[in-house]
Amino acid sequence: MRVLCCLDGTNIEQISTTVSTMLQGENLTLALVYVIDQGPRGEMERQRERFFRSPTMKPRHKEQMQQAENANAQDILDEGTRYLSDATSFIREGNPEREIVRLAEEWSADLVVLCPRSTQSDGPTIGPKSVGHTARFVVDHAPCPVLLVRKRSRTST
Amino acid sequence: MLLFFHIPALTTTLLTVIIAIVTLLGIMIRPFRWNEAIFALSGAALLLIIGLISPVNAFFTLYKDWNIFFFFLGMMSLSALAETAGLFDWLAAQAARLAGGSTRRLFLNTFLLGTMISMVLSNDATALILTPIVYTLVTRLRLPVLPFLFACTFIADTASFLLPVSNPINIIILTRFQLDLWTFLRLLLLPSILVISMNIGMFFLLYRNQIKGRFDSKRLPSTAESIKHPAYFRYTCSVLIIVAVAYITASALQIPLSLVSLSGALLLLSGALKWRQITMKGLGGQISWSIFGFIAGMFVVVQAVEGTGLTEQFGQLLLHLSGGTSFGAVMVGTAGAAVGTNIINNVPMAVVLRSSLAGVQHIAPAARLGFIAATIFGCDLGPNLTTVGSLATVLWLLILRRRDLDVSGLDYFKVGILVTPLMLIAGALLIWLLLL
Repeated sequence: MRVLCCLDGTNIEQISTTVSTMLQGENLTLALVYVIDQGPRGEMERQRERFFRSPTMKPRHKEQMQQAENANAQDILDEGTRYLSDATSFIREGNPEREIVRLAEEWSADLVVLCPRSTQSDGPTIGPKSVGHTARFVVDHAPCPVLLVRKRSRTST
Repeated sequence: MLLFFHIPALTTTLLTVIIAIVTLLGIMIRPFRWNEAIFALSGAALLLIIGLISPVNAFFTLYKDWNIFFFFLGMMSLSALAETAGLFDWLAAQAARLAGGSTRRLFLNTFLLGTMISMVLSNDATALILTPIVYTLVTRLRLPVLPFLFACTFIADTASFLLPVSNPINIIILTRFQLDLWTFLRLLLLPSILVISMNIGMFFLLYRNQIKGRFDSKRLPSTAESIKHPAYFRYTCSVLIIVAVAYITASALQIPLSLVSLSGALLLLSGALKWRQITMKGLGGQISWSIFGFIAGMFVVVQAVEGTGLTEQFGQLLLHLSGGTSFGAVMVGTAGAAVGTNIINNVPMAVVLRSSLAGVQHIAPAARLGFIAATIFGCDLGPNLTTVGSLATVLWLLILRRRDLDVSGLDYFKVGILVTPLMLIAGALLIWLLLL
């Protein structure tokens, strides 16, 4: 079974525990993906236009941002491989939900594992709207089953 | 060349209004993502060609506003040269160091840093230079980037009426209405502090979950990483301190602020050239030249409309809506400026409003002051309502959303629409109280 685990920098423990407990006994081929979200960059470009500047950022800023993003992504994936040592790592750039779906197709994933929303998110962790837009999009569009890993809640029944 | 023919005044007015509206629509919609300057200059050129404004009138319109053009030039140069010295990187890293590993404190420091930069180097510097630097920093620290991006974007505008130099819009308005520094501070300093505090408070509440926890200070960049040339860096800091003092002195003595910004920029440039930190070509590449065309075009178009008497009538309408009271003036002025800046961007709105207010006769001094302060307040803070610049952009983002694309700009819009009206109301009420 080919399992694609989607990391966001805060969820590796949750995902690795789930994969190793729920899918034990399966012959697993694991992959980890971290998507560098290009949304904030798009927003900065729109801001530049508001101030009557070309949307293209200064090369120096672009380079610094790219370096920080890549280092951060690599860091998160390295942390991931410490938990799931045999996993292949992928760094993607773009819209996270779309990139996850695209990679699931390209890599022929049998299962996509991700959290309903980042633990740093301000949204509810249980109840209505507890599934964030990234997870919702992946559930709607992924070409394979999707496993949403939620933290155990004491109030849940 | 209608100047050579006798044409009815109504036809002249109609043609001028049509050209002005088409120009503003072009700026709002920006078909093919063309630069705004193209529309503003085309509108101005058409008015000149048809003869709806004389070349002499157009020339004197621009000549009167030389302070604005030179201020823009000085302001952009100062920011670019300070950035070359690594000042913004160093300040951001210091803000993170002072946070001592606390994300909440870093969040607060980002606001304070944005306030300081906006106050001295204008909101452009915060929005365009500090934002990518803060993004890089928080990415390195593995913190959620959006709250920090929001913080930079919002504080750029929220802190842009602390001083006359904090936003070029202030200069556009103050060039027409000579407010002395004391009056400016008396009416706008406390509202500014109030809305900055509200902005910080509401953001802490909105992002309480995302900014909890700590970060690893070891991930911070070293001082050597930020400062490439220590001597030029020290020189830049010294010059900027002198510029900050000179700005306040010049505002108090009503000396054109462009003289200060240009002198400061020339001082920094001489240092940068001496230490080979920048070339003239490099500096030229960091200045948005199209902005001068945009402003010049807008000034000529609005002057032509002013010639028809329409802006005066618009001013009278505002006066009528305000009931001639200082309370009405502040409320109508703030609401009009804030809504207008989100429809056609704040620069054209400020140009239209200053022209309209200049035409208003028979108005009580307190109401007049109220209108001026409210125009500055609304045009400066108003853009936070949509943050993406104009209604057209918001509509475009909404269309994208319908196509099932996730757009972060809409997240900004949601925050703006939630936070900004409260700040506008509270600030406007305080301005009114200060007028009493």
